Parts: sequence; C-alpha cells; structure tokens
Amino acid sequence: MTTTVQMPQAQPEETPPKASSGTWRRFRKEPLGMIALVVLAVLVFAAVAAPWLADYPTGYGDRVLEGPSGAHWFGTDSLGLDVFAEVVWGARQSLLVAAAASLIAIVFGTLLAVVGAYFKRVDAVVGVIVDLTLSLPVLPLMILVAALVGPSTVTIIFVIAAFSWPEVTRVVRSQALSVVRMPYVDAARLMTSSPAWIIRRHVVPAVMPLILVSVVLTASRAVLSAAGLAFLGLGDPNTWSWGRILYEAQQAGAMSTAWWLPLFPSLAIFLLVLAATMLSTAYNDARNPRRNR
Amino acid sequence: MRSTRVITAAALSAALALGACAPEAPQSGGGTGGGQEVTDATLTIATTTDVVNYNPLVGNSRSDYWITNLMYPHLLSIGEDGEKEPELAKEWGYVDDTTGFYELESGLTWSDGKPLTAKDVAYTLNAVKRDAPAGTLYGQLSNFDTATAVSDTRVEVKLTKPDASVIPEIGFWGNVVPQHVFEPAGSVAKFANDGSDGGWVSAGPYVLTDVQRGQSYTLERKDDYPLVEGGKPKAAKVVYRVFPDVNTEILSLKNGDVDVIANSLPPAQVKELQNTEGVTVQEVPGLGYAHMTYNMTKPDLAKTDVRLALAHAVDYEAIRRVVLQDQAVSTGSSPIMPVLKQYYDDSIKEYEHNPEKSRELLDDAGYKANSEDKYPLSFRLIYSLQDPVTTQWATLVKDGAAEAGITIELQGLERNAYLAKTDAGDFDIYAGNFAIMDDPATNMSLTYLPGGAINYSYVDDPELTKLIQQAQVTFERDEQVPILQEAAKKVRDNVYDNVMYTQNLYVAHRSDWSGFTVKPSELLSIVNPISVASATKSE
Amino acid sequence: MSLWLFVLRRIGRGVATIWFAVTVTFLMLRLLPGDPALAIASTNMTPEIRAELLNQYGLDQSLPVQYVKYLGELLQGNLGMSFSQNIPVGDALMQQLPWTLLLVGVALVVTVAIGIPLGVVAASRAGGLLDRVVQVVAVTGQSLFVPSIGILLLYVFGLQLGWFPIGGAYTAGTYGGEWYLSVLSHLVLPCLSLVLVQLGAYVLTVRSTLMESLGEDYIVLAKANGLPYRRVLWKHALRNALLPTTTLIGMQICLYVVGGVILIETVYAYPGIGRGIYDAVTRLDFPVLQGAFLLLAGVVVVVNMITDIVYGLLDPRVKVGSS
Repeated sequence: MTTTVQMPQAQPEETPPKASSGTWRRFRKEPLGMIALVVLAVLVFAAVAAPWLADYPTGYGDRVLEGPSGAHWFGTDSLGLDVFAEVVWGARQSLLVAAAASLIAIVFGTLLAVVGAYFKRVDAVVGVIVDLTLSLPVLPLMILVAALVGPSTVTIIFVIAAFSWPEVTRVVRSQALSVVRMPYVDAARLMTSSPAWIIRRHVVPAVMPLILVSVVLTASRAVLSAAGLAFLGLGDPNTWSWGRILYEAQQAGAMSTAWWLPLFPSLAIFLLVLAATMLSTAYNDARNPRRNR
Repeated sequence: MRSTRVITAAALSAALALGACAPEAPQSGGGTGGGQEVTDATLTIATTTDVVNYNPLVGNSRSDYWITNLMYPHLLSIGEDGEKEPELAKEWGYVDDTTGFYELESGLTWSDGKPLTAKDVAYTLNAVKRDAPAGTLYGQLSNFDTATAVSDTRVEVKLTKPDASVIPEIGFWGNVVPQHVFEPAGSVAKFANDGSDGGWVSAGPYVLTDVQRGQSYTLERKDDYPLVEGGKPKAAKVVYRVFPDVNTEILSLKNGDVDVIANSLPPAQVKELQNTEGVTVQEVPGLGYAHMTYNMTKPDLAKTDVRLALAHAVDYEAIRRVVLQDQAVSTGSSPIMPVLKQYYDDSIKEYEHNPEKSRELLDDAGYKANSEDKYPLSFRLIYSLQDPVTTQWATLVKDGAAEAGITIELQGLERNAYLAKTDAGDFDIYAGNFAIMDDPATNMSLTYLPGGAINYSYVDDPELTKLIQQAQVTFERDEQVPILQEAAKKVRDNVYDNVMYTQNLYVAHRSDWSGFTVKPSELLSIVNPISVASATKSE
Repeated sequence: MSLWLFVLRRIGRGVATIWFAVTVTFLMLRLLPGDPALAIASTNMTPEIRAELLNQYGLDQSLPVQYVKYLGELLQGNLGMSFSQNIPVGDALMQQLPWTLLLVGVALVVTVAIGIPLGVVAASRAGGLLDRVVQVVAVTGQSLFVPSIGILLLYVFGLQLGWFPIGGAYTAGTYGGEWYLSVLSHLVLPCLSLVLVQLGAYVLTVRSTLMESLGEDYIVLAKANGLPYRRVLWKHALRNALLPTTTLIGMQICLYVVGGVILIETVYAYPGIGRGIYDAVTRLDFPVLQGAFLLLAGVVVVVNMITDIVYGLLDPRVKVGSS
C-alpha cells in the first residue's frame, strides 16, 4: 500500500546519474507535488493507524443515517455504523488493492512492451496478445469471474491487474517503438551484443516518463475500478472498502438524501487519485528539467 | 423504424458533437392549466429492471409481471389476508375431489376485437401443461390433468388426484393468453411474444405499443375494460421507465419525471420520502417471508440442538428494528404468517434471543468450548448480494452466532452463483426470502416434503410429510387449518426452517395521483391492473 | 504493394482477434459453474423442467459438438436466440448499441477538442501558473467517482435547477424535432460526466509527450534554425505528441465501449449496451453474451485498424508495411 509513495524514490537508480541528482531538488520546488506527497502520506497514515483511529465498524447502532456530529464525525450509515471508522478502515483495503493491482499490471505490461519493441518477432506476438486481450469485454468477464470465484480481495486485485496491463503495454510500446528505431539505439546495437543492456540503458529510460504516467493512471484506475466493481455489487462483502461504503449507500437509496454517505468515501478516492497523479506529474517534470524561456 | 431513427441520431449528433454537450434544455415538465381531474393523463411508473419476457407464461422478473399483468388477466386476485378474490373468474371451486371449475366474467374482449372466452383459459392451461414453460404457473400444475371449456364462460379442470389448493393457486398464478395469437406460434415455452409480429393483443386495461430496451415501455389504454369502475381505464397512457439505480429513481420521483415507484422502497428511505412534499408513501402488506434454512444433510446441522442453538443466537428484534426500520412483523418463527389470518396460530412463539441458552444447548449436546469460549462449529451462510436487506442482516446473524461461540462464515454471492449453490445444496445455512407464500398447504408441500422444489433444509420428517399430505386433500377449511397449524408447530419446534419476519413494503407516488387500489405483495401492490386503471391525476 | 500486404495482414489479425474473443467467451461461459436454466426459471423448478431447458438450449451436448455447431451457425450469420428473451440475439443488442456509440462518440469528440489544446498550453507553459491550473482541472476530473458525481449532477441540474431530465435517453412519446431535442437534453449530463472522467488522460498524455519531444534533437535543431517557437510547438512537436494520443483514443474507445460505460449507464438510466451486457450476465444469457462480445470485438478491431492507419500517417518513422 506504499508503492505509490515509494515510486519516485525508486526511480533514480534507473535514470542517468546526471538527472537524478537534481530531481529531488527540483521536485521540492513544485508546490503541487509537495502537497500531493503530504496528502498521500496522510492517507497511508490513516490506513496504517486505523486500529488506533477508530474501532472496526461491526454490528449495528441505533442512530441510523444521522448526519455528521461530534460523536460521529462523518455521520452514520443505514445500519447506524460510524462512517468515519468505515472510511479509515476502508483506506487499508483500497490502498492495498490499488498498489497490488497496479504493480502487477505495470511490471507485466512494461516488460512485454519493452521486450516486444526491441525484438520484432516478439513484438508481433505481443501485439496480437494485446489486441486479443483488449478485444475481450473485460468488465463483464470480471463480473463472471467474481461470480465464479466469489468476490474477494484477491479476486479483485487479479481481475483489475488483468484488466490494466494491456493498456500499459500499448502506451509504452508505441513510445518504445519510436525509440528503438532511433539512430543511437542502432549505434548501441553495434557496440554490444547484450539486448538486456540496451533495453535497460536506452529503451527503459526513454519510456520512463510514460511509464510513470501509466503508473498513475493505472493505480488511480485500480482504485476507481475497485470502487466501480463494488458499486455493481462485486466488492469484497467482508472487508470495509471505500467502494463498499458507496455500494451500501446506493443499495440504501441514500446517495442523494444522506449526502455524507457518498461524500466521504468519494472524497477519499478523489484525494488519493488526485494526489497520486499530481505527484507523478511533478516528479516527471522534475526529472525532465526542460525549460524553455 | 425506431432503430433507423436512432442511427440517424447517432450520425447527426456526431456532426453536432461540439455543441452537443451544452444545448438549451427544451424540457419543461408536464402540462399546464389548473382543473380538477386531468383527463387522458399519462401515468409514468419507475422500475429497476428491464422486461425480460413478454410472454407471461415464461416471465419471472418483477417488470415482466407488472407489464404483462396489464395485458393478460389473471383468473383470481388476492386480498390483504391472502384470501383469493375474483378477477376474470367470478366464481371458482370444486365439482368433486378431482374436478374444479372457474366461472368467468362475460363481455371481455381482446384488443384485436376477438372475445375472451373460456376457450382461451382452457387453451392456456393445457398449453402450459404440455410445453412446460419455466414460469411459476407450471409449478402449480403437478396435479393438473386437463382443462375444458364447457361453455363460453365456464372452464372445468380435471385433476390427477385430489388437491384442495390447486384451483385457487392456478387461478392466482396463471395469466390468460389469447389462443388465436399464441397457438399459431407453437410452443408457449418458446414464444417470445415480443410484438414483432404486428404488436401485442391485450385483454387487460392497457396494451403495449412501444419499447425501448433499457429506457421505457409505453402502453396505451384499451377503451373497454369492464373490470374497472366505469368500464374504461382513467389514464390514457402508462409508461414504465427503467432506472437501474434506485437513487436516480428516487430523484426522478421527487422531480416529477415519474409518478410512481413500483419497486418497494429501501427501508431507510421511507421516512425521508414521507416527509417529501408532493410525494405520498403507501404501505403495502407483505405476503411472503424472509428465512434461514439449515442444511440437514450436514452432520452437525442434522442435530436439532445445534439448529436450536443457532436459532437462539439471532437477535430477531434488532434485525427488524435496525435493518428493516420496524417495517416488518414477526411470524413467531412459524411458516404461517400473521397476514394469513385464517391460518395463523398466535400460540407459536418466536425463538428467544439468548446466546446463553445456545451455549447450554451445545454443552448438553456434547460440544466443548475451547479456551476462547468457541465451539468447534463453523458454518457457511450463503445469501444473494442483489438482496440488500438480507445482505445487511446476514452480518447481524454472524455477530449473534459469534456471541454464542459459533463461527459463521458469510458468503455473499452474485445471484446466479447463489441460485446454483442453493439448487446444489452447496451451503450450510441459506438466507433468502419468498415474495408470496399465499397458500400454506401448497407452500409447505414445496418447502418441507422430501424432494420439494424449495426444500432447502432437506427435511424429511415422515410425520410432517403425513400432515402436509393430509392437508392437501382436506377440502374443508375448518378441518384443514388445525392440520396446517400442527405442521407449522413441528417446523418451528424442530427448526426445520427459521422464518424471521414478513416485511411490510412501502411504495411511493406523486401526491397529485390518487385512486390506487392496494393489494398485498410487491408484485401486486399499487401497480396491479385494477389499481393502474383506476388511478387519476388532479391538477 | 506493401500497403496491400499490410492491410491484408491487419485483416487477418482482425479475424483472429474476433475468433479469439468468440472462443474465449464460448469456453468461459460453459466452463463456469452457473446454470442458465436456473437463472431463467422461477424458484420452484423441477428437474424435468431443467432438463427440458438444457435440451432446448443445446447445453446437454458435449463441448466440441456445441462449439462446432456454434461456429457453423456464426459463419452463416446466425447469432442464435436469447435464452431469457426468446428473441434473436441481434434484435436484443442492436436496440442498445447505438445509444452507447452516441454517448461515447460525442464525449470523445468533445474530450479531444478540449483535451489537446489544454495539453499543449500546459506543456508550453510548463511549471507556470496556467500549467498548474490546467493540470489540477484535468486531474480533478479523472479522480471523480462516476456514480457519486452522477448523482450530484442529477441532484443539482435535474432536481434543484430542473434544467435537464433525470434518466433515460429521450422522452417517450415525442416525435420529430422535439424528439431530437429530448435526445440532446438527455445526453448532456451523462456526456458531461464521461468528458470529465476522460479529459485528464488526454491532457496529461499530450502534455508529457510534448515536453519530451520539445527536448528532442530535431526540435532543438529546428529552434536553432530560427523557426518561431509557436510553429515548432504546434507543428512539429505536437505532431509527435499525437502518436500516444492516437493510441489513447483507440484505447479509450475500446475501454468505454467495451462495458466501461456500465456505471454511467446505470446511474443515468441510459439504455446502452453496457447495461444490456450486465443484465445478460446476471441472467447467464449465453447467446446474448456471445453475440455482445463478438460485436464488441468487432468494434475493437475496427478501431485498432483506424488507429494504426492514423499512426502510420502521423509518424514517418514507423513505415507502413516495412519489415
């Protein structure tokens, strides 16, 4: 659940030394990036510290669908449970799903794309696989799989990862294809016989900004997908997640009447996705210090 | 016609695309002018699902039922206490033990001008028996042999063996379809009746004229409908609109875009809508129950004490108060609900919520609690995720059992997986509900006879079986009631079934509409044909 | 000559794609434990009814026999009959597909029309105030949870202000010009939601690629040669940045047409195919699902071909047909 935060620090070892030294210095000057970092830290803290912040929401309470008050900061749901506790405990599940699903998707997707771009024979296969996978109606398949395996956290992670990697591959591949045809890559081919070295040295750095944008889009889509699946009734019914709070609000018909029910989990999703996106954009800019005028 | 229009719309809008997202909204709701009663108004009714099947002999979703009900009359309707009431049939009963009859209203016609006669009724019943369509009616025909139109208004039904409930049950569950439309189509199990061959033919108050899947079903008034006061339906048009999300549906009612919400309201929204100006909330008596069954093929659950321990670990009162917002009544843990006044036995009492008693029962049965006060008992409870109320109380059942030292693992399932697992007996505890359990003899035979279609506890108690079979062939109500009550007591005392409550339902409509006739259950509610045909709008 | 080869190969791949989708769907449906007979029948179903239903659907035959029969029917253009509705699959789907295409198409055009200029502006003012504002706006949109924002928009613009209708795609019982107007007014809110959600991806992709290519040698060279910055930006750099954008468009169409609009269609009660598929899944209506997946695979293949062609036109470095 901390991947989104680690991401920027994980990069420097892969990028050319000259860029990495200035990256953090420039990053600190990006106010949006710093704010995003703080927001993410708060969300991660909430997830980690959930047991100290609130009791696990279970059972029922007698004050049903009451608005925010001193006793219940975020109000209560249709079973009288504390929404603040649900949001805090839901952060664990939602961050876990986002991190795990996007990690699987990015690693798998990038690997296929880069290797595919470098080796023409592989590329044809990769292209076909991506095409074929993208041509499958994934959301309905997710629904079917969830119905088969039973909606659980693991199912959701894998189902979302399986849904996300072809997009990563496609975006990265299109950039990698252009890079591989660059003269300096051809020159490198003459210098070494190790494709792994060329890929690591030239292809991966060239597609890195795109990968980072993909990380963000994938992680944010993972949070949103998990919430969307939950909203369609396919979330893990035994664990609190932001999606489950929203789903129960929908089932209770309370989306527009008890505004605090959809508001707080939506806000949490919103902040997480927003912060993750801002962070990666800021990082991207810091890494790529192009300044015109 | 419609599809070409849609495609042109797609092409046109692609061209207009840039401006398309911010055009002036031309809609200005409803009519103007102030009179008392709006004549020829349009009644817009919201539902959450599409129509699956226009063939009433096959259809099983609520929307199917509501819409086909406006076109294909039932022989009988039902009152608030579950007693059958006349609809198309004015009289019904038995000539002898194996012969029943229906005496029909005269003067009904189909919308294409042909008269509705006893022949249509006989055709419908015989065709269903022959083709076995997957609707509810076929399930009621196991003791049915043939139906014959002895005159234009009288149908006689031959039974294969005596059955005291088959005539009212067939009358209630069966729609009558036009022989001259259905017969040429061949098997009634395969006939889609989707209007593709010249539209629909109706003998109800309205006839379906236009369909846009996922959005709306438009029905127009049939000018003569003798079953409604005045012989002519009041509203000129009925439009059913589909809202998959109940929140949007509620907004639309508040907005006045729809006039009625047909599906029952989520319990937590009843108070909110009661306090909404311009909206009237109507209570609809429930005629079904929610229950849990314990799979008796499992060794632990085969023991009565274990089932009793589970039953005593549930806080029924809290479930009704919190989850159902006090919109449900206890049945005294009996499968015969209080609404069935003729049959109800108020001496049967609900299982007391008492986890200590559960522990005593388990100790006496020889189970040993471990150091954490937990018994080596773990059960898997299945329920449908599409059923929000059950989903909520399932967690309360789990928490209650934990108090008694019993572990319950919740398995919420997507509807099909739920049905498949239910059918295969792949569960320890099953939680679910039935919408209409109107006739105790019929229902007990389905729920508690070995091999019964909904015998989810796999109960096979020879004494109970004997009682139920005896009730089925007892034609005198006075003699039948005590037998059924004895059976119900057996079910309760042995925890063959754990019936938890009858939910009273609430539906909402715009306050400027009135004249609805309330019938029990969500299927009939205020959208039964008589009610829809009688509703009027005032300005 | 080489172009023809390219086109032929693309068509071959398209056919393979469709075959793959059809086969995967066919197998998944049959290897899953769900019982379509159960999904159709009411609760009190006897084993006889069930056997009869399975026989009627042909599901009592062996898998290879079913598969061969299915492919044979497919080659003759026969998609089969819906289990639950007893009507031809084509009829069941074709009423809903145009609405999804309308919604996704309009939203796409609007998004691209707004997204690309925003991305260019942000890249050219990178680090500046305008860049930050554009980023925040773009990212805000894509961070929204569709059902929540949908209910909010409906609440404000539908219920409180009464500007737009709540739910549906048009007003039943309207004709002619009035009908077209009602289609437009029903389209606004779902379209707005979809634009909000998609916009960020376009803006960020254009922005990040543009910034990359502004640093590339030939751009630097162009600038060194004294070409005006504006011209370098809009003509040379943007052309390069459009490559990933093209990919993105292709992807987003697939993503949203292929069931991704289910949430929007659910909240706005919009009668599109996403909802139709969802309903078919809940009823395990095999023929409708097979037909829908086939149809969607077809859409994907067409979109991919168009993307590839546009790609080839835009990027002189990827030579069409060269191998």
